[in-house]
Amino acid sequence: MTTVRETLAAARLGGRIYWRDKQALTATVLTSVGLGIGLPVLMDRLRSGDPSLVVAQLIGMLAVVLTLSAFNQSAISLTFRRDQLILKRLRAAGLSDGAVLGGELLNIMTQSVLIALVTTVAVVNLTSATAPRDPLLFTVFVVLGATVLTLLGAAWTVVIPRAEVSAPMSVPFFMIAGLGAGAFGPMGQLLPGWLTTALDLLPTAAVVRVGRATFADGTFVDDLQAAAVPLLILSVWAAIALLVISRRFRWEPRRS
Amino acid sequence: MAAIQVDGLRKSYGDFEAVKEISFTVARGEIFALLGRNGAGKSTTIEILAGFQRPDGGTVRVLGLDPVKDRAKVRKSTGIMLQEAGFFPDLTVARTVDSWRDLVPAARPRAEALELVGLTEKAGTKVRQLSGGEKRRLDLALATLGRPDLLFLDEPTTGMDPAARKATWDVVTDLAERGTTVLLTTHYLEEAQRLATTMAIMDRGAIVASGGMAETLAAQTGRVAFELPSGVEVQDLPVDVTAMEGTTVICRVPDPDVAAQTLLGWAGERGLRLRGLEVRTATLEDLFLDLAGKEKA
Repeated sequence: MTTVRETLAAARLGGRIYWRDKQALTATVLTSVGLGIGLPVLMDRLRSGDPSLVVAQLIGMLAVVLTLSAFNQSAISLTFRRDQLILKRLRAAGLSDGAVLGGELLNIMTQSVLIALVTTVAVVNLTSATAPRDPLLFTVFVVLGATVLTLLGAAWTVVIPRAEVSAPMSVPFFMIAGLGAGAFGPMGQLLPGWLTTALDLLPTAAVVRVGRATFADGTFVDDLQAAAVPLLILSVWAAIALLVISRRFRWEPRRS
Repeated sequence: MAAIQVDGLRKSYGDFEAVKEISFTVARGEIFALLGRNGAGKSTTIEILAGFQRPDGGTVRVLGLDPVKDRAKVRKSTGIMLQEAGFFPDLTVARTVDSWRDLVPAARPRAEALELVGLTEKAGTKVRQLSGGEKRRLDLALATLGRPDLLFLDEPTTGMDPAARKATWDVVTDLAERGTTVLLTTHYLEEAQRLATTMAIMDRGAIVASGGMAETLAAQTGRVAFELPSGVEVQDLPVDVTAMEGTTVICRVPDPDVAAQTLLGWAGERGLRLRGLEVRTATLEDLFLDLAGKEKA
């Protein structure tokens, strides 16, 4: 079996487990979709006639949705599977380590992309928001964002001591991502400059920046220019995540 | 080429030395038992052989390959039944096997895998509803799905009832007869004695005894026990007494049959009866107790 086939087999298994797990579905799918659709729809009712506000809210919420469904889900799911010795069992099945981890992450990333796209389509259809002018670039950055956040979630498991604390240790990130992306309104304006600059370097900020460009007026060339720095930011975060995973990822609970 | 070759293997966790420069060889097609008490270093050794952990020192070859560097190649030819490993609790037994069949090339059909370990009737049961012994049997089914050349069994029958244990022994024996090499760790000395042809006993990370099972046991003393007849002093007996347990005389002797004949002849001449006479050759348990006694001394 090639590595690609092994990875896909592991992803299929992960997906089968995920869609049967009602608690995971409630925690990630319903929460993410509920927040992602609910707040922009609410904004549309409160400030009707201003689609730009709804779009800003939607894009801000995408940062939250991606963080919840990719970063948090990756960190929590992998920590539980590590502590329940399921990762160990998958390794014992004869799969390469890359296929075991790749399969788990591919599954989570795919779910995250689906949730983000469903949220976007629902908001566009339920509110006065327009569809993105460049849906392809928008989708590409949703996929890249979900991929990088999923990898970062896996890297974050390195510092999570045990499964019970995986959720509280991961939840703050969606608040930070949402704050930086404007998901909670113009609260970012109250932050000091250095903090705003730091928040702009988050992987979710990269997705948000390209998202805004793809909804605004402009040309394809403008979009590519807008995407250059975000692409660099995402690449740096991906490299950091991969480095941490390759050096420090733990397949089993700590022994000492 | 040996199935497993271990030379000077060392492994520590922090300050704790789990494995201290052990060496042993497992020939192809044999059942090798790695024995010892909890914390002796057996599971660490198996995990290093299976490529889950890196050794701190020494060399390890599994089917001629380095289990860490060539992990992918090694895993394709090995099956592993871990002492501790999780299942997806909400999958049924059948679903679990099907899911694993996706991951293993040329896997056994599901029906064959379940029949092999006697879980056919549990196919529709969720894993969380299985008993501990049934989970071990499912573990064995997954370990043998790919018809491995080398099978690692870490405490394979823990939690099983006697019938399931006997059935598992039959499975392991059958696999070995078909050419599968088996490395077994177990607490159950009877199990090791029944299955294995060679063995090593580990204690505190080191191998304290090793060799062919039959030869090692033959080199040990046998045991003769009986109740001391009334009116007879221990020093009157024609054999050396090792210990007294109440009124029971225990003699540890190289040849228990000869000692028993001597005792019976001596008793017959005096019109005495040796009540509760028990004669047996050395068992693995005796060897274990001997080693424990030497350690205390």
